[in-house]
Amino acid sequence: MTAVLQLGSAVEHGGGRAEAVGDFAEFVRISMPGLLRYGHALTGNPHDSADLVQAVLEKVGSRWVAVQRKGDDPLAYVRRAMANTHISIWRRRRRENLVADIPDSGAVAPELSRLENEPLWQALRSLPPRQRAVVVLRYYENLSEAEIAHALGISCGTVKSQSSKAMASLRTRLGED
Amino acid sequence: MGDLDDDLRRLFSDDRLDVHSAPVSTEDVLRGAERRRRRRTAVAGTFALVTLVGAGIGLSRLGVPSPDSTVGALLTTSTSAPTTSTPPPPVSTVISTETVTLGQPPNSTGGNTGKPNPGGTSRPNSTPSSSPPTPESQAGRYGTLALGMSEADALATGSLVEPSSPADPDGRCKAYATKSVPDADAVIVSPAKGIVRITMPSYAKTPKNVGAGSSVSDVKAAYKNSTQSGSSVLAPMSATPPWTYVFETDGATVTAVFMRLNANDCASV
Repeated sequence: MTAVLQLGSAVEHGGGRAEAVGDFAEFVRISMPGLLRYGHALTGNPHDSADLVQAVLEKVGSRWVAVQRKGDDPLAYVRRAMANTHISIWRRRRRENLVADIPDSGAVAPELSRLENEPLWQALRSLPPRQRAVVVLRYYENLSEAEIAHALGISCGTVKSQSSKAMASLRTRLGED
Repeated sequence: MGDLDDDLRRLFSDDRLDVHSAPVSTEDVLRGAERRRRRRTAVAGTFALVTLVGAGIGLSRLGVPSPDSTVGALLTTSTSAPTTSTPPPPVSTVISTETVTLGQPPNSTGGNTGKPNPGGTSRPNSTPSSSPPTPESQAGRYGTLALGMSEADALATGSLVEPSSPADPDGRCKAYATKSVPDADAVIVSPAKGIVRITMPSYAKTPKNVGAGSSVSDVKAAYKNSTQSGSSVLAPMSATPPWTYVFETDGATVTAVFMRLNANDCASV
């Protein structure tokens, strides 16, 4: 009897889950172009962007119901997760391979190569990822300092210092070129 | 200064950022998410299974007097351990988990159960008073408690809420609330006859699917041999010991149901 009752509620859970999966699929379809673009700005190349978007969406999708229950805008949540994941991936890679720069991916689309040749884009790519994330969140996402601090889980002071370091090194780079 | 700001804004709004050489398919993402979720719930499910089995063992020790009392405890005490210790894991894990746990008690059909399920519950119970398989002869028990059960045995089930209060003017019989029925006189125990009254929770139905909220005509249709007694409807059961369903009504609708031992010797029952 108890089994019947609890199985009943399990079936309800199942129904809710199917709904959540459908809902998440819709979210992925709608937000994918924007996220890839944002990932491109964040990582500096479309391949890493695709990897980052896929990894973060998988993670978010596996706890979609909980993410929605939080009440935050899920898109904002995904973007914050992308910024943070990108920073931590980069940290890991740097530890693994201290000397090598992240190599440019071999063949690039013609439109892309124009972007690749843009001095500001190149200068951005040379920034450490956290500084780059601060720049992207500020100029791409138009977030305030406080919002950036919240998104990256760092203090406002750190946002300020990272931002001014980033801007200084961008200027230096561009001045050199 | 201003130039760099503008340049950055211009760069980030550049169409070329839209160029994706490696598209991500929605299906891949969904598959990956499902994979992660399964991996996580496999861990959570194992934990839930361990907790449930642990709780089951605990309960069966608690209900030593009758082997099927664990099931009763699961049914009647809605706040008991198994309910609270089950996180809401996803379908597949829940099913397997529940099956394992509930398979343990030797006799999983309570005489009376908490929710309507006529098919599953009208089977007679293999209590000491083994009786012919007609619903009217069902054993007088609800969950872990049975009519005629001694006070000590009843207390050992853990379903009674102490302290008791006197149930009759001379303080001979005792009244207890139960974990599923908060009324002070949900269960009344006679020193000579044991439990003489068990009140069913308001959500519970008899095996014939009537309970609080049912209409009087439904009760009479379900129990052909029932009789009206004041505002109550009495449906006698021929089990050993014999007992009676007492449906208290407001004239049209059942307001409360209790099981009463016919041979009761408490003035207030």
